[in-house]
Parts: sequence; C-alpha cells; structure tokens
Amino acid sequence: MSKQMVMSVMSKDRPGIVADITGVIYQLKGDLADLNQSVLCDYFSMILIASFDDAVTPEDVVAGFSHLPSATKLEVVVKEMEAPLESAPEGRSQEVYVLTVQGQNKSGLVHRIGLFCCQHGINILDLATTLSRGLYTMILQLDLSHVESVDAIRTDLARCAEESGLHLVLQHEDLFKATTEITLL
Amino acid sequence: MLRSDHILATVEMIQKENLDVRAVTMGINLLDCRGGGVAETCRRVEEKIGTAAARFVETCEQVSRKYGIPVVNKRISVTPIAFVGAGFDRHGFVELALSLDRAATAAHVDILGGFSAQVEKGMTATDREYIASIPEALARTEKICASINIASSHKGINMDALALIGQTVKDLAEITRDQDGFGAAKFVVFCNQPGDNPFMAGAIHGLEEADLVLNVGVSGPGVVARALERLIQTRGRENLRLDDIAEEIKQTTFRVTRCGELIGRKVSEELGIEFGVVDLSLAPTPTVGDSVGEILEILGVDVVGAPGSTAILAMLNDAVKKGGIFASKAVGGLSGAFIPVMEDAVLAAAAGSGALCLEKLEAMTCVCSVGLDMIPIPGSVDAATIAAIIADEMAIGMINNKTTAVRLIPVPGKEAGEIVDFGGLFGASPIMPVRNVGKSSRFIAWGGRMPAPIHSFKN
Repeated sequence: MSKQMVMSVMSKDRPGIVADITGVIYQLKGDLADLNQSVLCDYFSMILIASFDDAVTPEDVVAGFSHLPSATKLEVVVKEMEAPLESAPEGRSQEVYVLTVQGQNKSGLVHRIGLFCCQHGINILDLATTLSRGLYTMILQLDLSHVESVDAIRTDLARCAEESGLHLVLQHEDLFKATTEITLL
Repeated sequence: MLRSDHILATVEMIQKENLDVRAVTMGINLLDCRGGGVAETCRRVEEKIGTAAARFVETCEQVSRKYGIPVVNKRISVTPIAFVGAGFDRHGFVELALSLDRAATAAHVDILGGFSAQVEKGMTATDREYIASIPEALARTEKICASINIASSHKGINMDALALIGQTVKDLAEITRDQDGFGAAKFVVFCNQPGDNPFMAGAIHGLEEADLVLNVGVSGPGVVARALERLIQTRGRENLRLDDIAEEIKQTTFRVTRCGELIGRKVSEELGIEFGVVDLSLAPTPTVGDSVGEILEILGVDVVGAPGSTAILAMLNDAVKKGGIFASKAVGGLSGAFIPVMEDAVLAAAAGSGALCLEKLEAMTCVCSVGLDMIPIPGSVDAATIAAIIADEMAIGMINNKTTAVRLIPVPGKEAGEIVDFGGLFGASPIMPVRNVGKSSRFIAWGGRMPAPIHSFKN
C-alpha cells in the first residue's frame, strides 16, 4: 500500500450508493482512509481518500465504477495525491471562527463573502447555506490563523455589512462549542 | 460537528438578546499588606493591587474582543478591610478607602468591593471604628463599595451591629444628600455573605480564598425572556405546561453560563491566576428587555407583585441554578435571580403603580437570590425602622440557610411616589412607601444577639 488517491463521486441520491462506492474500492484491495459525504436536494456527493497497491492506477478505479450495475449514473473523478495523507498538517488551526451571514436572497451573496475571505487571506474550511422564505443564511467556518488582526477583520466586516445590507457576525468557534457541547475543554 | 440551528441560536443570544458577561472580578488578598501604620499599610495595599491587576482590564478586553462577548464590568474584590486595618481608628479606615480608590482608578477597574467587615457574632473595637467610617469613606470615594455581614445561620444575628447599621444607612444617604442619597446604593448588609461573589456592592475576597482568584458573574435575563417568548410562539401557549418552561430556562441558563465559563477560563489562563467560580445570576439592568420582572410577566402574572409572583420566582431561581451548575466547573457566589427594584425597569414600574409593595418583595426574597435590593424609600423613615426591615430580611436568610441582603436608599427630602434616578446601571424608580414606620424601635433597642436557629427538627 503506497499510493493514495482522492476521489469525488456525485449521483442522484438512492439507497446503496455507499455500498457501491466502497465495493469498488474493496475489489481493488484498497484501504479507505478519510471520507466525507453530503446530500443536497436529493443529490449525493462524496469525497474520499483511499490507499491502493502501486500497480493500481486512477484509470483502474474509474473503470471499476463504470462496470457497476447502478440505477443512477455515478460521476467519478479520481486523482493520485501529490502528498500522502500522513504528511498533511496535524490537527486543526486554533483560530477557527464561525461567520454567519443573513440577508434577503439575491445573486452574488456567496461570491461577495468568498471574495472578502480571499482578499483577507482567510481560508474557508466549511460552508453551508440555506434559503428559507426569502432569507438567505450562510454559515462559514474560517481559518483565521494567517490573519494578523482579527479586530481589523471585524472592522472590515462591519463595513461590508453596511455596504451589502447583510447581517454579518464573526465569533470564535470555541464559543459555539461551549454553548452546545457537554464537554468544555 | 456544529449544527447550524445551534450556531444561529448562539448568534441570536449575543447579538439581539443582551447576552454579556456582567462582571469579571479579581479577588485579591490584602492580609499581607499590613504595615506599621496607616500610611505604610495604604502604600502596600496600592502596591499589591497595582501589581496584581496590572494587566487585568487589558486582558479582559482582549478576551472579550476575541470571543465577541462584552465583558461589561471589570472589578476588584479585596479581603474585608476591617481585618486589614485591625487597630485603626475611623480616620485610618477613611485613609484606607481613599487608598483603595486610588488603586482601583490606577487599575482602570469600574468598581472595587471589600470595604467590609464580618460581625455576625460580635464586634471588636476596630469593627466599630470601621462602621463609623463608612459614610465618610463612601462619600469621599468614587469606586468603593462597602458591605457588612451581620448575621449567619450558624451564629445568629448581631443585633448591636444591626442597630448601628440602621443609623449608618441613614447617615450614608444624608452625607450624599445632593445625589439623592446615592451613598446608600454602595452599601449592602448581608446574612450568610459568600466570599466569592463577583457582583457588587457585596463582593469581597473571603478569608478562605487563595491569594489571587478570578470570579465571573454571568447574567442574561434578556436571553431567558426572549427564549421563553420564542418557545411560547413556536409551540403555542396551549401546548405548553410549566415543566416545559422550566426546562427551557434550564437549557438557556446552561448556554449563558457556558459563555461566562469560557471567558473566565481564558482570562485566568492569560493572567496565570486561579479561576474561582461562575456566579450564574439573572441580574437585570435598567435597559428595556433585560429584566427579571419581565420574565415573571411572561410566565403568567399580569403585573409583578400579583399573587403567583413568589411561586414563579421560586421556579425561575431553581431552574437557573440547575442549568448553570452543570455548565460550570465551579459555581459560587449568589447564583440565582436578583430583584433589585431600581435596576429593573419592570419591577420599578410595578413599584410605582403600587402593584409591588415592600412586603411582597420581602416574600419574594425568601425564594430568590440576595434580598431587598436597590429599594428607594422615603428619607423620613427613621433608623430603627430601617434596622427592623433589615432584621426581617436577615431572619429569612438565617432560618432558611441562604444568603440574604438589604440595600435600602432612604432618599433625603423625598417622599413615596417621587422619582429617584441614579443613572447608568443603578437605574431609576419611584420611591416605595414604607408602612408602619416608627413602630419597631423597642425591638431594635434590645441589642445583643438573636441566637442561631436550631439545625434539626425542621418542619
């Protein structure tokens, strides 16, 4: 086992997709490492990392999927990882903040916030949005470890809120853990 | 994994519902500051506070900014000063108060508590000098709060001290006559005073405490009120029973307390000082929507003071404790619901309309934290009557093994119904009438001690 591949799979949701995907990896004698899946509006998406023998190529994996007798079409992208999983930076940043954004739905909202983060050197770790009765809500987990001053970010966010009419709140992740989890570390 | 609805609930709590950390209070032991005389002691006191609190306010602000939660007050509590100034006369104690005031100003804290004594069983000559110094000490200082413990469940009530305190409250109001007797708002009389309470005016650094300790006071009546309104709106009044309401209060208090716990731990980590307790009290402010009285009205009395008010307050107080205790490593101080009349707009309005009278407030204090707090009364009420009101409240604490306290303001030259306004967190209220004035002096004149109650055969 010396080769790691990252793959993403998308399909219309149905029972059995996880069994199908992992079946392909199992048949190629692969070993599953990290995996993340999500379902949005009846569409399934998964990103996963698995290790294979040196002889297995990304093309072999894609071929494995194409031979599946599947009721829905599985769209698969497979890439060999440039650096193995073990060499990924250990642990999460200590400076994870949660940004909540709320406002009337209109196009360009996510782009505006994405651009803000990009311009300030902020990496978005997680992003989820919902639309309910015209109110658009975005919740972003942000890594602020490369940011010099959180105060300056807050000031710029306040300006962004004023210009865009969005309600923007930036709080440290610890606060949400403290108020919702049993254990406080 | 953080859930979106939880995240949004927390954001609501901080942004729209007045959630804050009401006070971070640094307790400082001053027993090692005693010098050969008054001047030397004062110098050492200022030096110790200066060193201990050098980075205190700055650190609180830093942590507050990082987490986006306001820390409203940064305070210091010190060893009850009568111990520090043993042997001093009243002038020496005034000097000590001035010295504490300078230290508090230099440390940039909002307020300093601990100009205090503990005389629940007997008074030393020093204690008497300390009591005599209180009016001048509080009139000449800006940031100093005083408190005295004159009763406990284990020692009874010191009736000699009680009589002196009745007069002290009058003198305090009189010496600050041009501020409507504001001096009396900085002095509180206790039964079973805790040594780790971060709230003023009764904060002290108890003799049982370590050299330095950090205590946090969380509040949040506004958060509880909004949570209950939301619950009633989403589930419908007809589908809810009282135990559902109690559960909601518990869960809300858990979240509120956790914010205080987080801030307290971080500040104490930064300063390298032991984290003491979280005091999870619902402490109202005069701001509209940050009222304990409002919670009582949401829970079903049309006006505070109506029958049912005491029962609702009992449930509220208990639910607050249950939610908070699990949220924090160590809970202490007063922990419960406060009903300070001037500081709570809804209570003040009920007092003004006559719906809430002093006797009903007294009944309510049997089931909640603290006691008869921030109550303006006519300046004409005599010292013995004030002492007797205090005696009643002390007896409630003594018999029920709980903390009770009294902070009455006999407003000089004003009568019931007139408005007194201290501004800021101290608030405003119509002056409450006192019934049966001048009819308790024979009782107060006895002096001596009210013996401690029996601690078995409780029925």
